Amino acid sequence: MSSLKDDRSLTGRQYWRSLDQLTGTPEFEEWLHREFPQGASEWANAWSRRSFLTLMGASLALAGLSGCRRPEEKIVPYVQPPEDLVPGIPVTYATTMPWGTSAYGILVESHEGRPTKIEGNPLHPSTRGAANAAIQASILDFYDPDRSAAFVREGVNTDWGAFVTFWREQFLAFQAGGGRGLAVLAEPSSSPTIARLRRAFQQRFPNARWIAWAPVADERRQEALRIAFGRDLQPVFHYDRAKVILSLDSDFLLTEDEMVAATHGFAAGRRTTSEKDRMNRLYAVEGLLSVTGANADHRLRLRAREVGSFALALAAELARQGLPLEMLGGAKIPQLSGAAAQWLAPLAGDLLRARGESLVVVGRRQPSAVHALAAALNEALGNTGRTITYVDNPDVARSDSPGLAELVKGMASGEIQALVMLGGNPAYNAPADLEFRAALAKVPTTVHLSTHRDETSQAALWHLPRAHYLEAWGDARAVDGTLSLVQPLIEPLYGGKSDSEVLALLAGGDDARGYDLVRETWRGLIAGDFENGWRQTLHDGILPGQTAAAVAATVRPGEIAAAIKAHQWEVASADARGLEGIFHPCYTTGDGRQANNGWLQELPDPITKLAWDNVATLSPKTAEELGVKNEDLVRVAVNGRELTLPVWIVPGQADYCVGLALGYGREAAGRVASGVGFDTYRLRTAAAMHAAPGVSLTPTGRSYELATTQDHGSMEGRPIVLEATLDEYRRDPDFAARAAVVPAFMAESPKAQERELVREYPSSWQEPSYKDGHQWGMAIDLSACTGCNACTVACQAENNIPVVGKDQVRRGREMHWIRVDRYFEGDLEDPRVVHQPMPCQHCENAPCEQVCPVAATVHSAEGLNQMVYNRCIGTRYCSNNCPYKVRRFNFYHYTANYPETIRMQQNPEVTVRSRGVMEKCTYCIQRISRGKRQARLENRTLRDGEVVSACQQACPAEAIVFGDINNPESNVVRVKKSNRDYALLGEYNTQPRTTYLARIRNLNPEMPA
Amino acid sequence: MSTKDAKGNALVIDEDRFIVGNPTYEEITEAVSRIPEQRATPKAWWVLFLVSAALAGMFFAHVGYLFWKGTGIWGLNIPVGWGFAIVNFVFWVGIGHAGTLISAILFLLRQRWRTSINRFAEAMTIFAVICALMFPTIHVGRVWFIYWTMPIPNQMGMWPNFRSGLVWDAFAVGTYFLCSLMFWYVGLVPDLATLRDRAKGKIRKILYGVFSLGWRGGNRQWRHYELAYLVLAGVSTPLVLSVHSIVSTDFATSLVPGWHTTIFPPYFVAGAIFSGFAMVMTLSLIARRVYGLEHIISLKVLERMNIIMLVTGSMVGYAYGMEFFIAWYSGNIYEKFTFVNRAFGPYAWAYWIMVTCNVITPQLFWFKRLRTAIPVMFVASILINIGMWFERFVIVMSLSRDFLPSSWDYYSPTWHDVGLLIGSFGLFFTLFLLFLRFLPMVAMAEVKAVLPQADPHYHGERSHG
Repeated sequence: MSSLKDDRSLTGRQYWRSLDQLTGTPEFEEWLHREFPQGASEWANAWSRRSFLTLMGASLALAGLSGCRRPEEKIVPYVQPPEDLVPGIPVTYATTMPWGTSAYGILVESHEGRPTKIEGNPLHPSTRGAANAAIQASILDFYDPDRSAAFVREGVNTDWGAFVTFWREQFLAFQAGGGRGLAVLAEPSSSPTIARLRRAFQQRFPNARWIAWAPVADERRQEALRIAFGRDLQPVFHYDRAKVILSLDSDFLLTEDEMVAATHGFAAGRRTTSEKDRMNRLYAVEGLLSVTGANADHRLRLRAREVGSFALALAAELARQGLPLEMLGGAKIPQLSGAAAQWLAPLAGDLLRARGESLVVVGRRQPSAVHALAAALNEALGNTGRTITYVDNPDVARSDSPGLAELVKGMASGEIQALVMLGGNPAYNAPADLEFRAALAKVPTTVHLSTHRDETSQAALWHLPRAHYLEAWGDARAVDGTLSLVQPLIEPLYGGKSDSEVLALLAGGDDARGYDLVRETWRGLIAGDFENGWRQTLHDGILPGQTAAAVAATVRPGEIAAAIKAHQWEVASADARGLEGIFHPCYTTGDGRQANNGWLQELPDPITKLAWDNVATLSPKTAEELGVKNEDLVRVAVNGRELTLPVWIVPGQADYCVGLALGYGREAAGRVASGVGFDTYRLRTAAAMHAAPGVSLTPTGRSYELATTQDHGSMEGRPIVLEATLDEYRRDPDFAARAAVVPAFMAESPKAQERELVREYPSSWQEPSYKDGHQWGMAIDLSACTGCNACTVACQAENNIPVVGKDQVRRGREMHWIRVDRYFEGDLEDPRVVHQPMPCQHCENAPCEQVCPVAATVHSAEGLNQMVYNRCIGTRYCSNNCPYKVRRFNFYHYTANYPETIRMQQNPEVTVRSRGVMEKCTYCIQRISRGKRQARLENRTLRDGEVVSACQQACPAEAIVFGDINNPESNVVRVKKSNRDYALLGEYNTQPRTTYLARIRNLNPEMPA
Repeated sequence: MSTKDAKGNALVIDEDRFIVGNPTYEEITEAVSRIPEQRATPKAWWVLFLVSAALAGMFFAHVGYLFWKGTGIWGLNIPVGWGFAIVNFVFWVGIGHAGTLISAILFLLRQRWRTSINRFAEAMTIFAVICALMFPTIHVGRVWFIYWTMPIPNQMGMWPNFRSGLVWDAFAVGTYFLCSLMFWYVGLVPDLATLRDRAKGKIRKILYGVFSLGWRGGNRQWRHYELAYLVLAGVSTPLVLSVHSIVSTDFATSLVPGWHTTIFPPYFVAGAIFSGFAMVMTLSLIARRVYGLEHIISLKVLERMNIIMLVTGSMVGYAYGMEFFIAWYSGNIYEKFTFVNRAFGPYAWAYWIMVTCNVITPQLFWFKRLRTAIPVMFVASILINIGMWFERFVIVMSLSRDFLPSSWDYYSPTWHDVGLLIGSFGLFFTLFLLFLRFLPMVAMAEVKAVLPQADPHYHGERSHG
């Protein structure tokens, strides 16, 4: 706590874990006496006998009582409170979450010094006020009780000072050889400070190696752009401007880094306010069923290695239809068959009609030749500069797999004498054939900076605890060049060090503070008055006016033609004996860096609805041919590497491929992730990082229990998610109102008035009018919702929703207040997929309220269906009678044994529920109250948009709209007026306040059915 | 045995002779009283009692663990918020119904054959309702607040929610328990006095003396007694119909497909009487055999009970069919699906057990030979009880597949669920065995009243012929 005083002036926040820790220091003594003048803590008067006896008597009595009291906790009030802090009123700070080469600008809510909730920063281009599941869940990463709290050398705890001393010796030794034998393995980053220190390091140690690497990155795309343009350019996609989007194995709506901005843009181009609007059209060609594929208007199943051939054939078709594509000259065009062949002509036609308003995006798994071809197509279609722009990113450090392979070779040969790993976990996730662990053992000096004492840390000589971005200074550049600061909200919980602090020591032997390092970098970035600019950036989260100008770049046809010629274009024939293995980051926990996060582990996969495990996904046909079914354990073998894991059948996956999610099967991740799932990195080799041919799959005859939150995937023909094509919608704009409200037998009735009869069937009771004051309501646009799960995690963070574990999920007891239902419709092999977020519907005529024997769930005057935890005795009748099944029951005392740090994350404005009570979505009533209080303090009415529910706030697609339905000007009223609006199960007269907007698909009539 | 009057017409009274062998009053007293008066408790009783008490102990051990850990120890989930506990509750309440029907309705209808089984059936009612009341109490998440379901004045100024079926459930079953207990006890008073008079030990003398309330058998006492009994019978009679009707509203007033149906009240009452008679049958077949009361609980009585089971069983079968018809006729896709799903879905096994046991089994009683064959009725009575338990299970499991297929799930009981079900039988039989051991299991005074000697015009077969 030596920096107690300084830190307060720096951050405005400070935190101490206990008073004991604080009081032990001389600084505290000094501070105490400054606050309370000398002598204030001593008795002023001489003691009389009487006062002594009185006091002693009372003390003894109290001492005797202490046995029946709770353990004492010391509370220190603020004597000099931080500026602007009102106890009970949260303060929001702008900061940035670095994510590989991307950066997410965020706002973090802090309650008396504890960060509790993350939201997107509306000013930041990569979040636009929204936040995906990973961002939302990173607050839990911060409080992870399993994070490392110790500097460890060879298994012995030591401290930062010892490492500084150690490194200064190394530093002198390496300086002599210009850094020969020294290597740094960092993570991809876009931080200007890291870049500055990296340059300093390279200057100081010209012979040292510097490699950035991550297991999942956009390496191939960048390689292709270097081929196409001759330099490293950062593409920026403008999905909002695209009318026809072709995704070639790209999952831009979920697993790619810029998914928030992409979802935002995609939904913006898709939203219709009436049947007259235009909407974009998405074609997806992919092997696994991704969230992007689930949202496609047309989807083609092709194994990952065939997607390239499709792209080339499409290019040829575009050329045939008149698009000038000189780079195709001489290339051998693959012959496609089946649906793929039928796709070419209409798809090419659609792309050509939307010149300048189309976009071809290619996924990470595809080879660089396909990326290069796409760059050429985008340029030829006139998209470059419109739907896709390129910018320079001077500070970026990109993942470099060949570099990693070289480095490991050097390590194994003994050339590398010292390896410093800044983050990452290569011992776990480096390509299996590199044998990273064996090579690591040959390096005499290894240092690993890591949030957890993970697999790599345990194999390294030194382990240094790494600071989380919420507790360290830093900076980052968004893909479009926007600069933003990472500012800490709290002292490092576990005493970790940031990347830049360690790097400063590496590069110059300086034990510098992150704050000074970042400020030094920014002195060169802020034009004009530095302090003003710095403060403005801290406040806003971004440095205004720093968006990089689009670079005018044109492709080099010759290089692309060469790349096309050099590439092996496959129309691969795979069968049940030789499957194609497709590696992909898990749809919830990503590449595994957030594995020890209970929220993400328990988050159901948007496609399989599985939580807590990864699986081998197969198409129904492939599974049938192999004779396997869900939960069968199979041995997957690739080039002599084997792994046994359970099967899950995914309708819509391409035949003869097996999807393998990365990031599971950890040995040393912490108490959440260790032993969960299966380590698919063991199958992944440097030559086949993305799609591996010749995978064999043999049943073992055993099975493995998986936890799914949705057992049944069909809507059974019920009007649950209403859907129409754009043409149908134009012909029959009121289809939603009719389909949902009228029961089937009425709809079949020839008499039109029977339909009206149902709608106007009068109640026997005098119903509450709900005409006065605020009346809260919500609308969810199913056309915009992609099923990304951001809402579920945001709600979990906001509302203190417990993680219950795999066993409880398997028993159907997950606690999510808003779930995202996923239905498959149509053909089993080629289904349509729809997602439907399902929070409490806040029925005006709520079935749950009528059946509770103790009136624990009641209606508020503002139309909220409220759950009174104190009154609930737990009959579960309300849940039985809820037709939407959105109520969640505390079957056990799930919140009883929270580690102390997890408790710190809890939102103090929301009750932490105990055993035996029901709970459910409240429409974020605490936010409603806060908004109303603020309005009352300022003596005005509540403005529309002032109260934002957590799910609405997080939704990157802006699919969820919440507000006062009594305010005719409100956004929610405007949305609910849409002719697509319908009440789910409205025929039951529940009168839900949450309504849905029917989903519209924009089909190309020329496409094969 | 038929006697004729002077003109040769058969006397109607002979048709009512349900007590075989025309025993004397003293023989009746002896036959019934010797059982609680036994010096040495029979070994068989001890074996049965220890087994039952062990199961009852297991019941309370499970309850203790449940209170300690929470309702998560059961197989419940969302959507299936109710499981074995509610199934067992409805099952046990239903069992109780036969007792009240026999003691109250058949009494008012002057069905004199009831006298040999009514004590027994009433005891069964009380013990079954005790078992039943256990389940809604322990099934709530916060059992320490269960009293909030009662309209007790409190500092919160809160009433229970009178719109909820569960509140009326608590009232109905509570009322039922109290009325049944009073009715049973009032009926016991003359017999307790008989035991008191015959008692040898001091403790027995005191205990029977206290509980017989100073009964002396005087004319005035008999007059008061008869009136009180009649009044209580009158009070209990509507309960037979109301209790299970109200229990059925736990389901019927919800909107869960498969629950939301107006047929439930009569259907539940018929089912309750059906299962209750089956339970009385099982118990009386064992008791009459073990204690040698075949002449008092005669075949004729058993046959009447079988006929009632045939009637109520057929009503239940009709209800099953009508539910299907209405589900189809309503045009409601959710209702339709639920019923098809019952018969062919994941719980089809339970449905077909239910249909086999409840609809097919009682049809055997159309045949006189079968309905008077002890082994047939014994097996049938057990099957019917299994079937009626499954009926409630099938109904409750409508929850597993309701409106939105996304929330469908499957409920499988844990060993705590099963332990509580079996344990509740242990509790029931423990109480029942204690009753057999210490109280007169046949209402001696009432049986004597239906003997030919009770008829003032009777002059005694033995003296005349």
